[in-house]
Amino acid sequence: MFRTTLAVVGLLSTLASCNSDAPNLNAPVVDGIELQSSRKQLIRLAIDLTGAHPSKQDLDFIEQYPQAYDDYVDKYLQHPRFSERMSEIWNRSIRTRTGETFFDRTEADLGMVPEEVVADSIGDEPLALLRHVIENDLPFSEMVTADYTMADPIVAAMWNLEYPEGKTGWQPSFYTDGRPHAGVMTSTTMWSRYPSAGVNSNRHRANTISRIFLCDDYLSRPVSFSRTQIDTLTSGDPEEVIQTTQACQSCHSTLDPFASHFFGFWWEIDGDLSEQTLYRPEDEQFWREQMGDHVSPAFYGIPTQGIDEMAQHLAEDPRFASCAVRTVFDGLTQRNASDLDRVELTPHIEAFVESNQNVREAVRSIVISPEYRAAHIEDERGDRIPVLKSVTPAQLETIILEKTGYRWSFDGRPALQRNIQGLAVLAGGTDGRFVNAPNYDPSIGLVFVQERLAQAAAWHVVRHDLADDREEDAILLRYVTRLDTPENNREAFVVQLEQLYVDVIGVPLDRPESDDEESIPEAPEVAELIALWKRLYSVDANPERAWAGVTSVVLRDPMLLFY
Amino acid sequence: MKRSLHLTRRDLIRAAAATAGVGLLGSMDAVMNQQARAAAQGDRKFLFFFAGGGWDATPLDPKFDTDGVSPLDGTDMDPGTVLGRTGNLSWSSGPDRLNMDVYFSRWGARTSILRGVNVHSAGHESATQWMMTGTSASSRADWPTILASHGMLEYPMPHLVFSGPAFPGPLGAAVVRGGGGTLLRLIDGSLNTAVDNPAPLFDPPSDAMMDAQVYNRAGRIAARLDGQALNRMDDYMASLEKSMELEGRRFEAGLGQASRTALAQAEMALEVMRLGLTRCAMIRIPGGWDTHGGNQNVGNQLDAFFGILDTIQEKLHTTPGLATSRLAGEVVIVCTSELGRTPRFNGSQGRDHWPYTSMLVAGSGIRGNQVIGGTDNGLISLESDFSTGQLSSTGDILGTENIGVTLLKHGNVDPERWLPGVQTVPALVQ
Repeated sequence: MFRTTLAVVGLLSTLASCNSDAPNLNAPVVDGIELQSSRKQLIRLAIDLTGAHPSKQDLDFIEQYPQAYDDYVDKYLQHPRFSERMSEIWNRSIRTRTGETFFDRTEADLGMVPEEVVADSIGDEPLALLRHVIENDLPFSEMVTADYTMADPIVAAMWNLEYPEGKTGWQPSFYTDGRPHAGVMTSTTMWSRYPSAGVNSNRHRANTISRIFLCDDYLSRPVSFSRTQIDTLTSGDPEEVIQTTQACQSCHSTLDPFASHFFGFWWEIDGDLSEQTLYRPEDEQFWREQMGDHVSPAFYGIPTQGIDEMAQHLAEDPRFASCAVRTVFDGLTQRNASDLDRVELTPHIEAFVESNQNVREAVRSIVISPEYRAAHIEDERGDRIPVLKSVTPAQLETIILEKTGYRWSFDGRPALQRNIQGLAVLAGGTDGRFVNAPNYDPSIGLVFVQERLAQAAAWHVVRHDLADDREEDAILLRYVTRLDTPENNREAFVVQLEQLYVDVIGVPLDRPESDDEESIPEAPEVAELIALWKRLYSVDANPERAWAGVTSVVLRDPMLLFY
Repeated sequence: MKRSLHLTRRDLIRAAAATAGVGLLGSMDAVMNQQARAAAQGDRKFLFFFAGGGWDATPLDPKFDTDGVSPLDGTDMDPGTVLGRTGNLSWSSGPDRLNMDVYFSRWGARTSILRGVNVHSAGHESATQWMMTGTSASSRADWPTILASHGMLEYPMPHLVFSGPAFPGPLGAAVVRGGGGTLLRLIDGSLNTAVDNPAPLFDPPSDAMMDAQVYNRAGRIAARLDGQALNRMDDYMASLEKSMELEGRRFEAGLGQASRTALAQAEMALEVMRLGLTRCAMIRIPGGWDTHGGNQNVGNQLDAFFGILDTIQEKLHTTPGLATSRLAGEVVIVCTSELGRTPRFNGSQGRDHWPYTSMLVAGSGIRGNQVIGGTDNGLISLESDFSTGQLSSTGDILGTENIGVTLLKHGNVDPERWLPGVQTVPALVQ
């Protein structure tokens, strides 16, 4: 109780000094956009780039020195979790984190490794390359031109790769089956995830590359066929019909030569998926037999000699850079960029191109823009620029972990980083198969996930902080003990609850206005939580249970979900 | 305040729905027809069954000669099967699929078979998208999600996906995945006893008090917001309301019970529909339908599935509805798959992928005892007149998109908003 009283005076004055939930009457306005308070800007930045909230020290600092925002951008771009945040964003288009192993792990002597763990590694092969590119400031074009792949020991065993001796973790590695290396375009994970039905002649694969790296999904193009054309397709030789029908050629004239590059991954045993993990140099010319001599490999009209040469043209296509920026822009701003956003996107694309396709520079350009930092936009842009974003499942998990030390996991695997038991999808995430667009609108699934995560984390905090034999610092409950009640130490409750909100959501509670300069009115939430504590305590006089309930309510705060 | 408007609107709609079933008399079919019209005043519910892998179209599109035994040239029929027939419906009957006979003899009058449905693809992934969204674009919401998002009532679990595909598109908030029991364990909190660092459960009254506090806080935050930020907080509060309702009604809905089998899932789907908790549900039809390696199990799988369908129809006709006297007046059953399979067996006596498939649609407002569309002897789709369902050389090929927009319209959703210009199939509905 004593330590509580000591803390009260200084803390109350701090809490009274800023009222960050209230409308910011002095908020800076840039280009017609009212910016967030500096504190909220930093929270948004940290969640987007590191997946978690800023430290208390950083929040206090930015409040005093708002001009330090750019320095924090530098700091967070170098954060260890930044590249994983980018992986999360890019997985929405690459979609290899599906939880599948594609074929039997026991054949790779991995029978003792849980299937889920193998699946996690396999699904990460293309995204590990992305992380490698970002962490080493390599040009993004490396994603399709790298003369290596990335593997951990599991991927190396599954795909029979040359993995550096004595190393651990993700390392540049090499296929040894004679395939040319062209980043993710020669990754076995990619072509196991995107197999080609025999009759479709690798078109699915070509379209996948076009969708991911050019933001041009052939399947989304408006096409219309006459009855006669459909009859011809189903009754004649489809390949011949495709080559001779103008309506078909509007897509196939570029798609088919693109697809011709992937015949080294052709399957020779019909129906055997594991065949698609193999590369056969002798099959590279199989497009002649499958599609015809006239469908020779080319990239949008430029003839190529192979997949590695095509990769160079792909990386130099202006759409490649703009698509990369659009992907990260959509992920960070929670939008689907359209033509209306061209003006806003252009400087970010320029920054990306001028930095030799450095992902960090594209992100920097985006997060320093006034649109990104907006709190309120009066003009027509207000309809399409989100000013209140939603955390992703992975962000929610990391935020709770950092604030409470509690890891919500099953068999050692974090519940929301991957789609364990479908929890991430319930909370708005994707599964790489059916659910490929994140859901930013709060759903009932998100409400339940947050509720149960918050309750589990709250129990962890309470058991730690209220333990009689605790020696280390408290996690969140610094101002109360098991013996305190609202009756014997209301002051401690008030301080604790106000500070709990600051610790959890990063901003103090909104207080009612008062003309009395001598007294600082309590936020209504404090009285409500004290009443809740009493009701919970009345059930079995268990202070741990009462505090777990109250703490969970704060960890469920909507401002933890929206930023 | 918007929140109270929210509740008032919902209560008014519920009250209106509750009075819709009064005074229904007459024969069973007449009653059902009246109920179907009454359901239109509320919301029709849609129960989707999906055979992942691409099912063989021939059981619902049999190719037998006039003797009912010999297969027609162009299509191989499963060994031991013969033509089954009742009314205008026909199927491939056989000792390994007797429940098909049972189903059609009991419920054929309320069932339509659709044949030669063009799925526009021979690949699982894109065909699933085509079947469920009517397009090849992965950003589109599927039919049940659209229907669930645009009901007249507000549902705590608008589209409940027990198993099978779900394409939420931009309407993800409507989709609740209940697969594997995760949702149920979230609702009752028992999930936290299974995590690596388990936590005790709160008793329901305490849980409710905590929920209420979170709701109050959200309301306080919302009061300071405007524009799209207010909309987002309003959506959050609506989801909170729904979660509180679900927590309170989980025992009533039997949500605490395991629902691993397709039948148990279907029964639970009907129950949550009856209680007004859900408008649409998706359930995977058990079995391996991707029969490249042999078609020999298809009959047994169909037998099991039609047994489930028979039980579900029985339940629909004996269970009181939300807006009508029996649930059968409110629920539409849609059974489909993403693909068909080749007319001829391959070297393994299996069938490979085929872009035309068969479907079964039954229930509220559906015109029964009819076949819509058709195929030639080689299982290639033929044109039909969508207004009659009959084959017609001046008609069109039935596509996934036509059926989807018909379901939307049947569910009182304007299809033009989602797939403008696509023809509906008036023959499917009464």
